[in-house]
Amino acid sequence: MSDTKLSKDRPPKEGNSRRRVLGMIATGALALSGSALGLLTAVFFKPRVTYGPPQKFRVGKPATFTSGSEIAYQKQAVLVRREGNQFAVISTKCTHLGCTVNATDIGFECPCHGSTYDRRGSNVSGPAPSPLAWFLISLAPNGDLVVDKDKKVPAGTYLEIKA
Amino acid sequence: MQSVPHADETRGKSILHRIWYSIFRSPPLPVSELDRAQSVANNFFLHIHSAKVHERALRFKTTLGLGLMTFFTFIILVVTGILLMFYYVPTPEKAYDRMLDLRSAVFFGTFLRNMHRWSAHAMVLLALLHMMRVFLTGSHKSPREFNWVLGVFLLLLTLFMSFTGYLLPWDQLAYWAIVVGTAIAGYAPVVGDQVRFILLGDSQVGSEALLRFYVLHVAVLPTVLTLLIGWHFWRIRKDGGLARPREDLALAPAPAGTGSDNAPEDAPPEKEER
Repeated sequence: MSDTKLSKDRPPKEGNSRRRVLGMIATGALALSGSALGLLTAVFFKPRVTYGPPQKFRVGKPATFTSGSEIAYQKQAVLVRREGNQFAVISTKCTHLGCTVNATDIGFECPCHGSTYDRRGSNVSGPAPSPLAWFLISLAPNGDLVVDKDKKVPAGTYLEIKA
Repeated sequence: MQSVPHADETRGKSILHRIWYSIFRSPPLPVSELDRAQSVANNFFLHIHSAKVHERALRFKTTLGLGLMTFFTFIILVVTGILLMFYYVPTPEKAYDRMLDLRSAVFFGTFLRNMHRWSAHAMVLLALLHMMRVFLTGSHKSPREFNWVLGVFLLLLTLFMSFTGYLLPWDQLAYWAIVVGTAIAGYAPVVGDQVRFILLGDSQVGSEALLRFYVLHVAVLPTVLTLLIGWHFWRIRKDGGLARPREDLALAPAPAGTGSDNAPEDAPPEKEER
């Protein structure tokens, strides 16, 4: 009975009533917290710690590489090249779709779709759209060579080590 | 609803009778049109279907049954997939061995795995054929255009299910397929590398990628897919059942208001006669 009494006292009004304003505030608050939650969830999916092989890693003392050698690191998908006293690190990840390229006498060749690169890593033929990346190689204080895959260097950049 | 028997109707009847009616509310073998319609409408599993459908919708030629076939392959995939989950471990050390064990050491494992694999291939194919049928019969046109949109999302989800499932055997084929597939995601302008990183959970395909693809494959995508399938089926009813040619619609009697479950909810009757 109280229901009918209430509706008699205050007939539902059209337009901007208090209920409408409260409804708009509630909807706005819901939308705001909803989008905040969405944003937080999106950030959640971007890992801060990764468990794969690290981007920066040591490959040992310079003396362990002989001049003219090219040592491939399968897991990290890089190749360490020594020419005389100069060192360089070239990515072996094909720039087409990420397969691992093999070193050949004249450069690199991708087994997946046949892209070829010359010894500088410049793409010569096949679907590869860009040259292979060169990464920064440096000496750690204890004399180890350190590769940093997060830092790219221009092709042809070598690290000179005094023999 | 009027079909719920009153307590005094079941009083004095046998215990079996009371149990049956407490669950189903309609007679076990309906004889009248009304009873038949009600046993569909009152059943949780059947009520998604219209109580009445046009005669034409029942002909095999109308749809070739492709939508339902797609749905049934999904059911097979859910059942076999859940069974496979009991023996599979999504880590790089164990995944491949567990897959081999499923084929050699688990009772009926080869059969299960092959059911899952072939049904997955079939589901993609059937979904595409179903879309082709819908398009060629013009069933995607108004008022059913939103169900087409839902169908496109269902196709994308099906393909993504297929893609995430492909990595799980963790063999060379799977590994390189995902390396190449996620490299394609990396080609997207501006956000490409970020999308790839978030998809893989790392800068290359490894344990994190396997875990992420597994969770997407067994939990996230099936849930979304199930919800969308329910919505897709419900829309068929709300859009007036299966599409029919105009000459058929012109002959059809005007919807009888309350009785017709097939009529679009807010569609005026004259729309049917266009």
